[in-house]
Amino acid sequence: MIALIDYGMGNLRSLINAFDYLGHEALITCDPAAIEDAQRVVLPGVGAFGNAMAAIRARNLEKVLDRQANEHRKPILGICLGMQLFAKSSSEHGMHEGLGWIDAEVRRLEVNPPLKIPHVGWNDLQFPEDDWLFDGIRPTEANFYFVHSFHMVCNNPADLLATTDYGGPITAVVRARNLVAAQFHPEKSQDNGLQLIENWVNWTPPC
Amino acid sequence: MLKKRIIPKFLIRDRRLVKGLRFHENFREAGNPVSTAKVYDSYGVDELLFVDIDATPGKRLVDGSIIERVSEEVFMPFTVGGGIRNLRQIADLLRSGADKVSINTAAIENPGFIREAASRFGNQCIVVSIDYQRDADGKQRVVSHCGTESTPRAPLEWALRMQDAHAGEIMLCSIDRDGTMDGYDLDLIAEAAQRLDVPLIASSGAGTLQHCREAFAAGADAITISSMFLFTDHSPIKVRSYLATNGVSVRSQKGSHS
Repeated sequence: MIALIDYGMGNLRSLINAFDYLGHEALITCDPAAIEDAQRVVLPGVGAFGNAMAAIRARNLEKVLDRQANEHRKPILGICLGMQLFAKSSSEHGMHEGLGWIDAEVRRLEVNPPLKIPHVGWNDLQFPEDDWLFDGIRPTEANFYFVHSFHMVCNNPADLLATTDYGGPITAVVRARNLVAAQFHPEKSQDNGLQLIENWVNWTPPC
Repeated sequence: MLKKRIIPKFLIRDRRLVKGLRFHENFREAGNPVSTAKVYDSYGVDELLFVDIDATPGKRLVDGSIIERVSEEVFMPFTVGGGIRNLRQIADLLRSGADKVSINTAAIENPGFIREAASRFGNQCIVVSIDYQRDADGKQRVVSHCGTESTPRAPLEWALRMQDAHAGEIMLCSIDRDGTMDGYDLDLIAEAAQRLDVPLIASSGAGTLQHCREAFAAGADAITISSMFLFTDHSPIKVRSYLATNGVSVRSQKGSHS
């Protein structure tokens, strides 16, 4: 079973619909016991970083999530704001501490006209072609749906798996140990997104 | 490179799709929202926009069950508008599967609402939709309540003010052009694109492939298309291929198979 973490911020219905469509059992939950039972965890999120961390703490989820990530080493997928929460900190509306799973900071995108903020729409991914996460995704058609104003800046280049270009390369996918996270919305990226979710479900992280 | 977006716009009335002329005349039946969404998903359009046109005048919210059904059928972004007046309604719509909400009348009645909504849900969630019309003295003015109540505001000033209130995107809808298929309001699009720092969605007037190209050339980040898709033989695939041939950066996908 896959636990989709409900902390009150995120388009959970679309996410569970995607897992249903692909035939994988998923549950929207904030119950620590259910999260402990799950084989996999997805951390979605839409909104502001500080509110999200506050919501996670208000539901006493920080320790539970931390245990899944660092003790049980379950595969965890972060999406959009959920991805950014993997970072150590964010400067969105003041400084906020994140889950700290990835050595990275979240900063506001800085672009020049005519580029606009938020970065909204379909953008191409630059990714390593032989990587399992992108199996079945054609590099020439690898566009995914982004909608964000802040982005993750990795301190360890090895964590950065894929980028997209928006006034320069910005972080699109990070991966470290049992953690995978995408800035775009795979559940909203039509066939490419569903393929990426399927690839993630079929992945067993190295012990 | 970020792609220019093509967004079919669906008007919902009594749970069915309709399309009229200049907001109030000549409404025509245009199908079932859920099955139509699925068809457009297979065309690989970039987003969908649903507006319940009876919601604000009827003082109720867009029907959430339709939104839930759509999100079960298509795995692409969509925006929902119609009668949104408070944060709880936004939360409900997002929970039903919408990615963004489009707010119009409530922003005019209470500009602080946009700031609140953006701070709660993130700027990227909040699209401010601006309907405008030329009044008797020839000036363009913002209109609320689905085109029924006029205001003294100029559309561009209002757009800038909504940007300051942290709207994530601005959508400009010319009532005079709605349903006419005579082309977008290029002058205002060009000026707004120049002055706004947030993405601009051009709405109302598309009738030909050339119109779509002109709107992007004027600086729109996205265009909505309604009558042209419903009542002509121009499909999203045709629009995209025409735009790509003419140097507009659009998605190359053939469409979705989900």
